[in-house]
Amino acid sequence: MRSRSGQIAVALVMVVLGMMLAMQYRVQQRAATDLAHRRTEELVELLRRSESERTRMEQELAELRATVTKLSEGQAAVSALQEELTKAQVLAGLVPVKGPGVVVTMDDSKRPLQKGEDINAFLLHDEDVLKVVNELLAAGAEAMSINGQRLIANTEVRCAGPTISVNRVMTAPPIVIQAVGEPDVLERALRMRGGVVESLSFWGIEVSVRKEAEIAIPAYTGSLKFQFAKVGQAGGR
Amino acid sequence: MWIPLAALVVGVLVGAGLPLQIPIFYGRYMSVALLAALDSSFGGLRASMEGKFDNTVFITGFFSNALLAAALTYVGDRLGVELYFAALVAFGLRIFNNLGAIRHALLAAWRRRHR
Repeated sequence: MRSRSGQIAVALVMVVLGMMLAMQYRVQQRAATDLAHRRTEELVELLRRSESERTRMEQELAELRATVTKLSEGQAAVSALQEELTKAQVLAGLVPVKGPGVVVTMDDSKRPLQKGEDINAFLLHDEDVLKVVNELLAAGAEAMSINGQRLIANTEVRCAGPTISVNRVMTAPPIVIQAVGEPDVLERALRMRGGVVESLSFWGIEVSVRKEAEIAIPAYTGSLKFQFAKVGQAGGR
Repeated sequence: MWIPLAALVVGVLVGAGLPLQIPIFYGRYMSVALLAALDSSFGGLRASMEGKFDNTVFITGFFSNALLAAALTYVGDRLGVELYFAALVAFGLRIFNNLGAIRHALLAAWRRRHR
């Protein structure tokens, strides 16, 4: 710092440095608070709106179904036909059912993760739920629900981010599967050596199977609109 | 000594008061440029303590390092190469080296005076 102009140049550089420091600090402040928060709030608002929309539509659907029931009863249709209809409705999951069965509760592994281990192996995945569901069906389960969602012919069980989507409804572990069927058979199918429960417990996934004398399974509450499928000829080609 | 410090304070005040805002997207490049600038500043302080300070070297180094660091990070982002971390490590190391040298110089000066 010998010359006057040299000092001025250094001072200018320091002014620039100071400005950069201050501006970067402000950017960081903004990035930390603003961005994350606003994004979350927007998403929460969106979620809330679509959830209330769904509730409203479900109510509407229930009302409409009640009307249909009233009309069909009014016609005093043949009892055999009614019986057939009830069976079809049970199979389709349109009416609530109850009976003996098992309740399977599944949850993520509580084991502390060791260094180098993949967290994914210890989380409950859609495949794990599907394996249990499949095993129960194979053992003769007649009706099933996953976290209160009735299992019907086109129920999906699929990972949706950290949650699992069942009947287009997001649900998170713990997953409770209720199945109506012969309790002993269902339980043994799951606890079989080398079976589902054993292989899941290997990863520390928590699975509990409880036999119950009476299980109530709710009806399917989603929509029943078919956009592409049309009724073909019965017994047709 | 006090002129650069006063200039730094002025810069901070101007920067804090300026209505201009950098988009968060560019914050990453700004941070690398800032690190390079800090490195140059500490390098200049060290050089002046060792009596080797050269104005031209200091000023060109300050600006070219900052711009190059930001530009390289940008290019790296485009190519999928994390040059950002390379810049962080390189300039970080140099800052600590410079700080060490400054400490040594200060200690040496203090001992000379008290003996």
